[in-house]
Amino acid sequence: MAWVAGRYATRSIRRNFRRSLLAIAGIAIGCILALVMQGFNRGRSEMFARAGAYSGAGHLRIVPPGWRDNRDQTRRLVDGDRDFAAIRAQPLVKAVTPRTRAQALLAMGTRVTGVELIGVDPVQEPATNRLVRTIHAGRYLAAEDTGTLVLGSAIARRLGAAIDDDILASVVGPTGDIQNAMFRIVGIVKTGSDIADAMVCQVPMRDMAGLTGRAGIGEISVTLADWRATNRVRDALATTVAQGDDVMTWEDLNPDFKGHMRQDEVSSRVVTGIILLIVLLGVASAQLAAVLERRREFAVLSALGMSGWTMVRLVLLEALTLGVVGGALGMAIGVPIVWRLATTGLDFSGFMGGSFSFGGALVEPIIYVDFGWWVVPYASLVALGATLIASLYPATFAARTDPAVALRVAQ
Amino acid sequence: MNEQVVHAHGLTKAFGGGAQQVWALRGVDLNIGEGEFLALVGPSGSGKTTLLNLIGALDAPTAGELVVLGQTIGTLSRRQRALLRLRSIGFVFQAYNLVPVLTAVENVEFVLELQGLGAERHARAMASLDELGLADLANRRINELSGGQQQRVAVARATAAHPKLVLADEPTANLDGENAEILMHLMGELRTRHGMTFLFSTHDPRVVKHAQRVVTLVDGKVARDDRQPGESPHEILPAEKGHAWAGPEPRRLSSAPR
Repeated sequence: MAWVAGRYATRSIRRNFRRSLLAIAGIAIGCILALVMQGFNRGRSEMFARAGAYSGAGHLRIVPPGWRDNRDQTRRLVDGDRDFAAIRAQPLVKAVTPRTRAQALLAMGTRVTGVELIGVDPVQEPATNRLVRTIHAGRYLAAEDTGTLVLGSAIARRLGAAIDDDILASVVGPTGDIQNAMFRIVGIVKTGSDIADAMVCQVPMRDMAGLTGRAGIGEISVTLADWRATNRVRDALATTVAQGDDVMTWEDLNPDFKGHMRQDEVSSRVVTGIILLIVLLGVASAQLAAVLERRREFAVLSALGMSGWTMVRLVLLEALTLGVVGGALGMAIGVPIVWRLATTGLDFSGFMGGSFSFGGALVEPIIYVDFGWWVVPYASLVALGATLIASLYPATFAARTDPAVALRVAQ
Repeated sequence: MNEQVVHAHGLTKAFGGGAQQVWALRGVDLNIGEGEFLALVGPSGSGKTTLLNLIGALDAPTAGELVVLGQTIGTLSRRQRALLRLRSIGFVFQAYNLVPVLTAVENVEFVLELQGLGAERHARAMASLDELGLADLANRRINELSGGQQQRVAVARATAAHPKLVLADEPTANLDGENAEILMHLMGELRTRHGMTFLFSTHDPRVVKHAQRVVTLVDGKVARDDRQPGESPHEILPAEKGHAWAGPEPRRLSSAPR
């Protein structure tokens, strides 16, 4: 856009200053709401990623060949050592832990209950699983432990068990025979969610191998420093782990999460879309009024030879100026709000009664609104995009001005 | 006669359709040569503005032939007509119609910018304002200028690019006698200096007085196309069908050329 035309467009904003101010305020408010909504949406994804990862799934899990299809717990990794080496070569890895799993029956006295028994590395496990950090009674497993067990309070209640009680664990061995072993309860976990408390039943990994008769590692759980790098690290690991071993993300492991997150994402987008539509209609209305007010002027400009396309660009430039000012104002107000919500978090535990279990994970209902460099391009896109779209109709309306009106009106 | 700028033959223009159809022009024949200073007169509703709009490529004729600066208006697209106006035709309006948010020089520059002029456009705009005695007021906003000054800026805007044809619709209607005289005098000088063709639609004897040729339209047709030597505007204007003509008897300025 040429120089005088640019001055024309920008100075035209001052013709009806109050209307321009209202349009700028509308754009700014839309921008703030869109920023908060987007930050909230991204923060909610982070909450689910955190919940999934720290409930034992990890951000990534290396699983044996075929495990993805049938989740057969008797399968073992092709080469656990090589997988560990590949994982440790990744810079964003925060914690790694191996596990094995088996379906088991626990019996104490006359009481019996079915559980998923998990063999763990007592040293590494607490770094990747926050469930086992909520020890209510006793202690967690120690490196030198053997024949010890930590279980959730829901299981302990079902069995009527307490610390130092002996429990009989029975599993199906490699040849279909029943294998038994006695374990002593050293710790009881109480997370606040009965569902989560029913999922914790851990023994040292070497005891698990002795009980099931199956050596090797069933899975390796990987926790990353930044959950947003999940897919990138997955892609890197997919080519470096032992051939045949598979890399799954926390979303793959928790399909319920994935569906729920998509649903949330769609509803957030709908709400954001409604907000933007309201802003869009407000700006369109203000711009149309501005164009209608200057209909004679546009007719004269057309009579002087201004093309319709130039007129469209003039109106769009005018709108763009409003968008830039509105966007800057929106960022000036919205960015501190988003930063504040990112720092303190939005705590919904008052509404939800503390942590809750969802999809096999313990969800801590605190959403830390996402804050990052994305706010600048996002707010700019919202402010400028919405303003430009809103101004398309007024601009084309101006461009359709009949120049013959100029002389008639001028009479 | 010099090279022909406007050639109209059997030119008609109708508005509306069916029973509502109104014929604004009913077969106008008119030729205008290069460098003419022509006044188009006639009572209200006689078709002056419609004819000006057609010649200015603002509208397309219903029937008949209209060639302006070698281009047949009826065959041009909207974009082609806009280009013709931009490159070859200047407009002066009764109500000045300057852009209020721009200064005097920016108003002139705006049109030059649309024509694609680069760095030289400011100098051209200033030169044009200077020709009209407005160089000192170049940086004033439009609302800081008097009516006469605004109309001179409008003339500067219309003539800065030296178009071949300048159309002026009632250019003096909002001006007092002195400003009207000054404006007509300056436009006469521009015509002499740059060879532009001026076509005015007017009710004003002060404009008619300066015109080299007077064409009278009545009921959409050319009723008269001549001027007798020494004939005063008031002798021409009231002669038409007893219509009442606006405008005072002009006082003669010694500096205003005829």
